[in-house]
Amino acid sequence: MLSTLVAGLGAGAAPSGWSTLVLTVLLTPAAALVLVTLTRNRRHAEAITVFSGILVVVQTLGLVSGVISQGQFSAMGGYLYLDAFGALVLIPIAGVGFVAALYSVSYMGRQYERGVVDDGHLVRYYQGFNCFVLTMLLVPLSNNMGLMWVAIEATTLVSVFMIMLYTNQGAMEAAWKYLIVATIGLSLALLGIVLFSYANTSVSPSAAASGSALNWTSMAADSRLLDPGIVKIAFVFVLVGLGTKAGLAPMHTWLPDAHGEAPTPVSALLSGVLLNCAIYGVLRFYIVASGTLGAALPSELMIILGLLSMGIASASIYFQKDMKRMLAFSSVEHMGIVSLAVGFGGFIGFFAALLHIVNHAIAKPLLFFASGAVSQRYETKVMAEIKGVIKTMPVTGALLLVGGLAIAGMPPFNIFLSEFMVLTSGFGGGQFIAGSLMILLLVVIFAGFLRHLVPMVFGSPKGPGVAVPASERPGERGAGLPAILAMGILVVLVVVLGLYVPQPLQTLIREAVQVFGQGAPTI
Amino acid sequence: MQIPLSEILTLTAVGLLLSTFGVVLRRSFEGWLSAYRYQSIILAGSTAVIAYETGYWEIYAAAILTLVIKAVVIPRLLVSVTESVKDEFKIEANPYVSIRLSLLISALLVALSYGLIHETLVSTSLGVYALTYLPVSLSLFFVGLFVMVSRRMALNQVVGLLIIENGLFLFTTALTQGVSLIIEVGILADILVGVMISALLLLRMSQTFDSFDMASLESLKDD
Repeated sequence: MLSTLVAGLGAGAAPSGWSTLVLTVLLTPAAALVLVTLTRNRRHAEAITVFSGILVVVQTLGLVSGVISQGQFSAMGGYLYLDAFGALVLIPIAGVGFVAALYSVSYMGRQYERGVVDDGHLVRYYQGFNCFVLTMLLVPLSNNMGLMWVAIEATTLVSVFMIMLYTNQGAMEAAWKYLIVATIGLSLALLGIVLFSYANTSVSPSAAASGSALNWTSMAADSRLLDPGIVKIAFVFVLVGLGTKAGLAPMHTWLPDAHGEAPTPVSALLSGVLLNCAIYGVLRFYIVASGTLGAALPSELMIILGLLSMGIASASIYFQKDMKRMLAFSSVEHMGIVSLAVGFGGFIGFFAALLHIVNHAIAKPLLFFASGAVSQRYETKVMAEIKGVIKTMPVTGALLLVGGLAIAGMPPFNIFLSEFMVLTSGFGGGQFIAGSLMILLLVVIFAGFLRHLVPMVFGSPKGPGVAVPASERPGERGAGLPAILAMGILVVLVVVLGLYVPQPLQTLIREAVQVFGQGAPTI
Repeated sequence: MQIPLSEILTLTAVGLLLSTFGVVLRRSFEGWLSAYRYQSIILAGSTAVIAYETGYWEIYAAAILTLVIKAVVIPRLLVSVTESVKDEFKIEANPYVSIRLSLLISALLVALSYGLIHETLVSTSLGVYALTYLPVSLSLFFVGLFVMVSRRMALNQVVGLLIIENGLFLFTTALTQGVSLIIEVGILADILVGVMISALLLLRMSQTFDSFDMASLESLKDD
């Protein structure tokens, strides 16, 4: 173990170009955190965070080009690693991190003007924001699964801290539930990860000696040899544990509270990319487990959890009253779809799962951003009290409509494309019952979304905040320019990715499906 | 005089289980905390035994870290944060499951843990310390989980969480001779920050809510 540490430090002294970039992409938000702490000024904190977001996006694009040209690379003596699968999770984190920083300037600025938060809160907010991005970036960059667990647990702690920014009863209740449920879930996951590592140590003395038994690359390479009895238990522990954090039903109970009560930019990060980090962890172990046990049992478990999540989400969306909670339940639905797609398997199934992860990470933040601007204007999150958004705020209203239709699976937007592929893989693989159930639930969810969305967007303007004359509302100018820019970027992606999948993304997803092929021999 | 290893193992295992039952039996915050402190000291001892057996210096370091952070820092932190909290919020007067029944269920959970380990792992080649400590670690895990769901007081849930973490730590150390030290330190740091954040949240809640009673945390739901 000591030798790996020394090797890690040695690699740090004379690393290859890509390994350096892996380190600097992590150091960027860390540096931003330090700078925000040093300046303690609201305006500076905003600028630093947005600038750090741009830098992270640029470096991530560099890393992605490296993955496309080179396949994969590791850093820090094997602790860190990036392949096409990791890159697909990394891109949304960087991208949504940047647009959420932009949106924060408008949204948190407006909260500041309304007197909801003060200067101290905002400095704490931007400290937390950078720390949150840092911990999330670490998840897809970890090769050591223990390190990945530490990073995921850290995301819980940072996001609890950010939900606690608001001191109302609802926020505290949500933060407490989230902290307790997610930590219990992650404890189970750690038990599973340690069992995987133990199974790996028993068959590979070299991995045990070099301390790399916890590395995913080592587990995946040995996956055919591991003890099936241990791997079966270990995978169930990891699935339940990380599934809790990914919001898969029936372990999703904390999610609507936490996502509903967090500040809106944080909700967008929680829903859009943090869930991806957790489902990414599940899938890494799915690959190892399906190598050991064959694809049948792990796939069955994924299909059951997927359908259960979609089922619970469909009822909750249909009868929902609170706008943000509806979006939160929609995240439960979409994580269910990803899980279902992986369960269906085959080339199209895995391709659809990975594409859906990316698509959801684009459409859901758009919808959260638009709804955040709306609830600030109308001063309520209750959907029955929000009417005629398209008349009071034309741009935001149009974005809310597009985002809502996209997330509900309406063509020609991006979510429709990946959902259609999931169905294709289901019926193509002979999963007729699961496929039919999925269609049924998608229809219910679509109806539920339209039922809430149409009166909100159209209809004659009405709502608690709308009655106040414009002159008495401080700084009322629609959503604000940075927020419109953030939503503009996302809506362009929603439309473009609905029409076709660009070549670099396609290459990346194809290569990531090859990573899945390490486990499931059917591809 | 040479004390045989098996006796040290048995003694520490019994100590760990007894301290867990201490948390189940006691009704006051001071009671839970002192039981947790004893448990952490014994846990550090058990870790040192494993370190001596395997000869890895990293495990000695983990034992020392356990002693310092879990037996000293965390209890002090919790005591100092909850100083201003009224006494009635620190007493589990009316748990969801009565103390007597809790004791019975906890005993069953310990039996279940021994059964599980012997069913699943006994075929593989495990060291003598692993065979002694693995069932104990699972017991800690399950009893901690049970404490978390069966009690009303938020403080009791924090202690339940800490027992789960102790169980996890013992499980990791006994089964794989500890994952690398960097990861151990990361896990410990997560626990420490987690306790700090939960303590901060508790303090806020004590100022806002009338009690730490979990029943007051039920305003967010779908109807």
